Amino acid sequence: MPDLRVGETVGLLEISRAWLVDPVAEREGPGEIVVRDGILEAVTWLSGQAVHGVNPGGILVMPGFLDLHVHLREPGNEDAETVASGLAAAAHGGFTTVCAMPNTTPVADEPGVLAQVAAAAAASGSPVELLAHGAVTVGRAGERLAALGELADAGVVGFSDDGSPIKSAVILRNALLYAGMLGLPIVEHAEDPTLTAGAEASEGLVATILGLKGWPAAAEVSAVERAIAILDSVRADAPGARLHLTHLSVAGALDAVRRAKAAGLPVTCDVTPHHLGFTDEWVAGARRWAWEALDGAGMARDPWADGALVTHPYATACRVNPPLRGAADAAACLASLIDGTADAVVTDHAPHTAVDKETEFGLAVNGISGVETAFGVLLAAVLAGKLPLARAVAALTVGPASVLGARPGRRGATRGLLVGAPADLVVIDAGVGWQVTRDALASRGKNTPLLGRELPGRILFTVALGRLAYRDADA
Amino acid sequence: MSAPGTAITPDVGWRQKHLLDVDVLSLAEIELVMRTTDAMKEVLARPISKVPALRGTNVTILFYEASTRTRVSFEVAAKNLSADVVNIAASSSSVTKGESLVDTIRTVEALGADMIVMRHGTSGAPYLAAEVFSGSILNGGDGWHAHPSQALLDLYTMRAHLGEVRGKKVVILGDVLHSRVARSNVWSLTAAGADLWICGPTTILRGFDAWARRWTGGGAPGHAGFTVTSDVHAALQDADVVMALRLQRERMDAGLLPSLREYAARFGLTRERLAFAKPTALVMHPGPMNEGVEIAADVAILDRSVITEQVTNGVAVRMALLYLLAGGHPEAVTNA
Repeated sequence: MPDLRVGETVGLLEISRAWLVDPVAEREGPGEIVVRDGILEAVTWLSGQAVHGVNPGGILVMPGFLDLHVHLREPGNEDAETVASGLAAAAHGGFTTVCAMPNTTPVADEPGVLAQVAAAAAASGSPVELLAHGAVTVGRAGERLAALGELADAGVVGFSDDGSPIKSAVILRNALLYAGMLGLPIVEHAEDPTLTAGAEASEGLVATILGLKGWPAAAEVSAVERAIAILDSVRADAPGARLHLTHLSVAGALDAVRRAKAAGLPVTCDVTPHHLGFTDEWVAGARRWAWEALDGAGMARDPWADGALVTHPYATACRVNPPLRGAADAAACLASLIDGTADAVVTDHAPHTAVDKETEFGLAVNGISGVETAFGVLLAAVLAGKLPLARAVAALTVGPASVLGARPGRRGATRGLLVGAPADLVVIDAGVGWQVTRDALASRGKNTPLLGRELPGRILFTVALGRLAYRDADA
Repeated sequence: MSAPGTAITPDVGWRQKHLLDVDVLSLAEIELVMRTTDAMKEVLARPISKVPALRGTNVTILFYEASTRTRVSFEVAAKNLSADVVNIAASSSSVTKGESLVDTIRTVEALGADMIVMRHGTSGAPYLAAEVFSGSILNGGDGWHAHPSQALLDLYTMRAHLGEVRGKKVVILGDVLHSRVARSNVWSLTAAGADLWICGPTTILRGFDAWARRWTGGGAPGHAGFTVTSDVHAALQDADVVMALRLQRERMDAGLLPSLREYAARFGLTRERLAFAKPTALVMHPGPMNEGVEIAADVAILDRSVITEQVTNGVAVRMALLYLLAGGHPEAVTNA
């Protein structure tokens, strides 16, 4: 496919002697694929002599990724990201479907805004599928329910006031009831704002030493417990009610979800690459992975004592909501992926302009531009032996797909390597890395603490429903 | 005033381009500051207390928060070294028109600043300034984070009276949560081997227990250690130094404390409480004081109160810091 451009149907793509991962079939191993005229024509699992030398450290082929949580900033903040640049970034990250959060300007609290976003997606020429969450309340102000039914008719896949929690317990209860009637989940950003007013960094040693206002774990745990209690109370009236807790970051919150799931409640949750891969010591100037910041006893190491501080403190690229946590909480996020408490990895891709980030730490906006680096962070965990590859892939494919549930009548990828279906896959060379630089990022948001760092796993091709979404310049 | 028994190599170098906090200073660099301060004290004792060390150097004092003693102290220090001093109070600059810190620093640099002494209400702001400024940034206090010149003048003042702080019981009493003075003192006093105690109501000690846990095995009186407690009597018992911190009225509004009256009754440094400390214990306060709240008026004026001496030493310490950042060498001061 020498001259194939983004958006065009893939005429012929043959990948031989690769490591295939199929989370639908729950199978991985050496194999080959053929894509012809946009259709996955053949998947061949190799055996015998043919498997010799094929391993997960080389070429990987897996279904295209699904991100339940991105911010594309259009309409209203096109200097930070546009639908077109956001979809290009998603493709560069291996994602073939993304769900945009509604906290744009204006807020996506009625169908007109969604139509504008959909038009921008169509105009971009990107084959990446753009789904949307609608707002829970008008203007995300937390007071009156948004046009939930009309938004559902317009095709939203869930409702969220993300960026802020739903402050009122009554509104949260009614939203769960009403969205349950519509068969859609409430995607809750769990945070007790009275505990986080003015908060800057996760409460603990780093915040104390740096003189930053502490952001307590209890703010997330109590909000998660509250939401679960309210969900439990509405089940009898709304059997379809579903609660999805996004970007959980602390062990206590994940424990609460673990218990709720064990009790049979219809609750799901996700974690982000930055909360499982980075820690609050990054705010102090460390850059080692979270799993390298734990000592043998599972306690966080002391970066002031062991020489881990390699760059200046207060980098605003590390400022995010919820904040980067301690190494034990990061380990809990990773563990939640392995035991299935977390259903998905989401990027919470939050691009921002340099103006909004090149400021004092306490005044900087929250958010990390993460859709292009997500797989690399997970692969680093895989290579360190902390996360099975199959779990990483499931958390980017079938996991988030199950959160969305059945979407009858919708087009969309199967998240498996299904012969005869439109090819929706990503081809990665796990054996080579790439330098995260401003130029390497397709997103307009360059706000990531990974800038300047080498990440493992170069994405060679992203194919979305038979069409080319991304190709590496050298591929 | 160098600590007896502490090995100092005479040619130890000053490695810092900026002074943002004391955490990055080696013990040798702290000693160098102390020795250079001695030399500056000699300069200050002369009839004409002025040396040409920083002649032609532009020191811009950029303060985003109200301050009297620190700002004037830096200004006097810089003028004693013959620097050209520019004062910028952020309230009267284009900052009120919305100029960003980065733009302000670039502008100040374009106007000729070689060094910037900076006070800012946001923790970490000087680190951002240091990224864009080609000269030296001297942190004059940032948010709750650091006030390195204050910690160094506190250390200098303690050593002037105690000779050596290693093993001495130093108590910081008050609102440490919001105190940059306390944080910088934690670094310098633990580095110097003090038996450091931090004391106040639990609501404004929060987080410091995690910091104290970094020092394991210490804590016994007379030994290097780091103890956090709300037990004011245990803290003051046999103390060698008691430093009270200012308590701001805003803390009541945030629900951290019931009232100033209750704070004064339980944690205020009174004569009765000070009696738990050694009879010779030094009384310190970084200022400005709320007399009758964190410190009783009759305590602040005791003979062993060194509060005004802290202010005097502050000028010498700041002269030393400006001089070292400009590349000066302590032995050269008197010939400068």
